[in-house]
Amino acid sequence: MSGTSRLELRLVAVRFGREAGLSAISLAVAPGETVAIVGTSGAGKSSLLRAIAGLDPVAGGSVVIEGVDRSSAPPEARGAVYLHQTPLLFPHLSVAENIAFPLRVRRVDAMAIAKRVDEVLEKLRLGSLRDRDPATLSGGQRHRVALARAIAGRPPVLLLDEPLTGLDPATRAETLEAIRSALADYDPATLYVTHDLAEAGSIADRIGVLLAAEIQQIDTPVNLFEQPASAAVAEFVGFSNRITGESDGSTFRAGLWEIPLQTDFTGRAVLLFRPQSLYVEDAGELTGEVLSVAHSPQGPRLRVKVQGVELDATASRSGMTERGDARFRLDNPGLRIFAEL
Amino acid sequence: MIPRPETGSAARALLLLLLFLLAAGPLLLLLLLSFGEGWFWPALLPAEFSGSAWGSLASGASGTRLLRAALNSLLLGLSTGLLASLLALPLGRQLARLTGWRRMVGSAAAFLPVAAPPVTLGVGLNYTFLVSGLGGSFIGVLLAHLIPALGYTCLFFMGYFEVYDDRLDEAALTLGASRAQLFRPVTLPLLRRPLLEAALLGFLISWAQVPLTLLIGQGLVSTLPLELLSYVNAGQDRFAAAGAIILTLPALLTLAVAGLAIKRTGAVVA
Repeated sequence: MSGTSRLELRLVAVRFGREAGLSAISLAVAPGETVAIVGTSGAGKSSLLRAIAGLDPVAGGSVVIEGVDRSSAPPEARGAVYLHQTPLLFPHLSVAENIAFPLRVRRVDAMAIAKRVDEVLEKLRLGSLRDRDPATLSGGQRHRVALARAIAGRPPVLLLDEPLTGLDPATRAETLEAIRSALADYDPATLYVTHDLAEAGSIADRIGVLLAAEIQQIDTPVNLFEQPASAAVAEFVGFSNRITGESDGSTFRAGLWEIPLQTDFTGRAVLLFRPQSLYVEDAGELTGEVLSVAHSPQGPRLRVKVQGVELDATASRSGMTERGDARFRLDNPGLRIFAEL
Repeated sequence: MIPRPETGSAARALLLLLLFLLAAGPLLLLLLLSFGEGWFWPALLPAEFSGSAWGSLASGASGTRLLRAALNSLLLGLSTGLLASLLALPLGRQLARLTGWRRMVGSAAAFLPVAAPPVTLGVGLNYTFLVSGLGGSFIGVLLAHLIPALGYTCLFFMGYFEVYDDRLDEAALTLGASRAQLFRPVTLPLLRRPLLEAALLGFLISWAQVPLTLLIGQGLVSTLPLELLSYVNAGQDRFAAAGAIILTLPALLTLAVAGLAIKRTGAVVA
């Protein structure tokens, strides 16, 4: 893997102040590949990026960029540009001067700087803003300029820290498009931190789930969302319904629940499924009660009690969204079962 | 939208007028006094106006003395402003980074010369400066002016660095700038405005300083405020008024420069 990867983390440990923090983080990112790191708030996603960038120390392991161990190199010698959540433009420089900054500090000759700045301005559709003062830009424009500046020097590694957080939908779409354009400009290895799974799924080639100070699973979006490797990952990626019971290898039992499910283990088990796998249907085989209804752009979300267990469910196509007794159907393909640890 | 009552805007206008009169009133009075002649109670205005007081101040021995005092004041003010801002910049930055008891001690050290009356400072410094041969010298007065100026400017920079966004430095570092490269293209332009403001603050502290100049200068270092004081002591009100206007001008100029600097460099971090 190290032969083809541009960024490689080998058992990297990062402390959170005096606390232990992250331990033994290993992953590799190939040229042109985008790996999203997702996790709950406080999981250490940003700390990991800061340690890779050299802004915070690495407590153990090594950060290898383009085959060279840069764990103790200063930030400017790592070849990893860290893009903060808030686009931090130099307020005393124009848009073009901001973009030229990484080239100027490397003493690239003026002609080459001008050519590259023009290229990047065009790539990110910033030509009309070339001489503007950063303070006069809109939120989306600032993000685009910060991205343009980040890629101007063609760093081998790009570290994007929650770049869409706090943006309105229109600006999110604009910024996401700018990120795609920036990443298509050359072939950086990109680590993209977010807590939004949909965002990660829309931009990443692979997604790593950072939970309990470790990367629990790193996989393609499809595999991660459909085949989570553990109960913790499954819950994180949206399998929010959890029933604890027993499995004899062919059937899962918990109270009134009895579901035929093949497992390669027997004993205590956790059954997990998404709300979309449980829905109201008149001909459904399960009986229960709708406790509450919450409406969202994705459709109504129900809180229900089915066979003695409170769960999240969705409405059927017939649109049953009233409180009261109802029948439910559970889609077997959407069920995931894990041995209880 | 809730309509504002008429009485509110009238009260605001009245308050603004009052503030203007409080600020401009004394200056207007000084102008009348410096240009007026034969102004005796209970007359509301001087009997006639002339520039004789200004002419006398600008000519002859008094003119030379006043010019020397003004130059001394200017040199002291500029040196104090420059040195205080340059010294306070790193000190204030360090103070802002301190935590716990170290921060308390550091803040108290910076606050002490601000809180202590200049006379107390002067009396305290007098003996030391005499023994060290600095009493009655320009350098001695400059060092004495630096003490309160440094206190003010340290506190000023401490406040500035408490809200300074270090992430701009981080952005520059990961973009490839070394720590040494960081200063000229990033840190210095961002510090230009606070440096100017701190230098102006130091200048003003020195420019209006009387007790420290009097005690440390021992009458051998003449400054504009001391000259002004001597006119007041001698009962030469018209000269004192003209001198007071001259003393006020740099303060007004400083305000204007600071206002302009804020307008020009008021850009926020994007």
